[in-house]
Amino acid sequence: MVDERSRRIKHKAGELWGNFGLPFIFITVLIFFSVQSPIFVSWRNLLSAMGFSSYIAIGAIGMTFIIMTGNFDISIGSMLALVAVLGSSFIPRIGGVLGVISTLIIAAILGLINGLFVTKLRIPAFITTLGMLFIFRALAFIYTDNYPVYIDNRFWLFIGNGKILNIPFPIFLTVICYTVAYLVLRRSPLGRYVVAVGTNSRAAELSGINVDNIKIFAFTFAGFFVGIAAVINTATMGAANPGLLGQNYEFQVITAVVLGGTLLGGGNGSLGGALIAAMIITFLGNGMGLLQVGSYWQLIVTGLVMIIAVSLNKLKFYLLGQGEL
Amino acid sequence: MIRFLKLYEKIGIFILIILGGVFLAIASPNFFRADTIFSIITQGTYGGIVAFGMVLAITSGGFDLSVDAVVALTSVILAMTIPDLGIPLAIIVSILFSCVVGFLNGVLITKFGVNPLITTLSMATIVRGVAFLITRGRQIPISQSEFMFVGTGKIWVIPVPIVIMAVLFIIFYLLLYQTSLGRYISAVGSNESASAISGLNVTFIKIMVYVLVAFTASVVGVIRTSQALIGIPSMAPGFTLTVLTITILGGTSLSGGRGNLLGAVFAGIFISMIYYGLNLIGVAYFYQMLAVGLVLIFALFIDGLRGRYLEVARIRGIKV
Repeated sequence: MVDERSRRIKHKAGELWGNFGLPFIFITVLIFFSVQSPIFVSWRNLLSAMGFSSYIAIGAIGMTFIIMTGNFDISIGSMLALVAVLGSSFIPRIGGVLGVISTLIIAAILGLINGLFVTKLRIPAFITTLGMLFIFRALAFIYTDNYPVYIDNRFWLFIGNGKILNIPFPIFLTVICYTVAYLVLRRSPLGRYVVAVGTNSRAAELSGINVDNIKIFAFTFAGFFVGIAAVINTATMGAANPGLLGQNYEFQVITAVVLGGTLLGGGNGSLGGALIAAMIITFLGNGMGLLQVGSYWQLIVTGLVMIIAVSLNKLKFYLLGQGEL
Repeated sequence: MIRFLKLYEKIGIFILIILGGVFLAIASPNFFRADTIFSIITQGTYGGIVAFGMVLAITSGGFDLSVDAVVALTSVILAMTIPDLGIPLAIIVSILFSCVVGFLNGVLITKFGVNPLITTLSMATIVRGVAFLITRGRQIPISQSEFMFVGTGKIWVIPVPIVIMAVLFIIFYLLLYQTSLGRYISAVGSNESASAISGLNVTFIKIMVYVLVAFTASVVGVIRTSQALIGIPSMAPGFTLTVLTITILGGTSLSGGRGNLLGAVFAGIFISMIYYGLNLIGVAYFYQMLAVGLVLIFALFIDGLRGRYLEVARIRGIKV
């Protein structure tokens, strides 16, 4: 009797946290920095920070798919650097539009390679992608000989810096990407397969789903979005720097996905949660920058946020009775 | 195929080393001098020593991506405490601090149930941040030049790092294959829930493993700080990849339960030979990144093949 009641209370708390936890953190972060810094709360700063958040938010889409299917990709930071230097170096020959398209295609191919290695050779994803992390970064260095590629193409630059009705263009891109991803995940058979593989890969296999192909799809899909993030990021900087691009990117993106409520190790995921979490992470960075918190502290805070995010997630699923503590 | 893979498991790394040796002997006339060979082996000890810890971690079914940051933390703590504490005490203090990092890793993984990847990746960021924070991003020179003995001295004709590796090898070998803790580590790696049911203290065993990984990383931190005579907060970027590559190339299976320490020693030497060869050609450092990454993928490829063939063999009922 008591057990039943405590189970119900726990379930309620878990639901409450699952539904309102993220918005609560988001609003707390907003209020905290607004009190601390008047610049933070200005419309201009908030809009530009939201524009910046697209860099993490768009990367988080693909990572949500990958983590839902029970894998990881920690090579995306280097992948971003490699496709950015490749794509931007093509601009003089093929123009901005084709340059962007080729960036996206190359990124998807790199994702595909990751997926093939992970599924066909059954190598744990983290270690395959750790190897790729170094290979991609090294290739970016070798291709450019460690010189940045400068970008002066208007189309390319518009993707990162352009504004429509005074709203940064990346925000529109984020909305489009999330809509597409949402439709794929919730309104298409493919999305149902992804969820099925995530929740119970053995059952999915027995019911005739080609699990390997779904996982490969997740990696390829993720690569595509990393390509978009690469274009946005290089456009805001005006150059593609093989060493600086995408540093710590995998870390920020995985934090966003986990903080957003996707369970590590596979299962159902939350795209909306990932979007809010990406904004939380960007606002944290933006706010700490405005308060002139040293970059060393920022490193420590990012690490702590990641660990706290995973623990909170664990707690939520425990309260809901879907996992152990 | 399965016979080939079994053979590879036993002697593959030696063949790689012999091939590498032949190649280097042709490419460089200096290769067959004792000091060249000793210096290659010494370079190999850094990855090899940490690989001992990593072998334990992977055998127990986990892994540790925070070792490069721990090397840096040891380096800066050592450099900061040496003027006040003297050399022996400073070494002990810096190693103890690093073991605390390993302890925290273990507690987060076992008590909070955080995935090892996330824990150690976050810990790497945090520890790196702390290393920068306590030094304010500066490098700290060490004035006690007698401290250089640890990294560059010789006992009889053998460089000290090689002696340290030999001692640690014996300790870890006995630990993994001769003590009950070693058997428990393998048991936890093969089947965690079965080990827990049969009464093993899984929490304690795993925490011990992560402390030992951090310990090996801090030993390397001491050696490399002694060679540079500077405490460097940005020390050893990308070192984790080298260590994982050495561990897997050395024949430790990623699926847990089976570790190979001797393989790690030779894999460390092989990676060091690659570095030496690339230095001979005189290419930029990022070719080393590429080479290590490719070797890792190759080692994983073999490990993956082995897993597949073992599975097929089991289904067909062939005893291997």
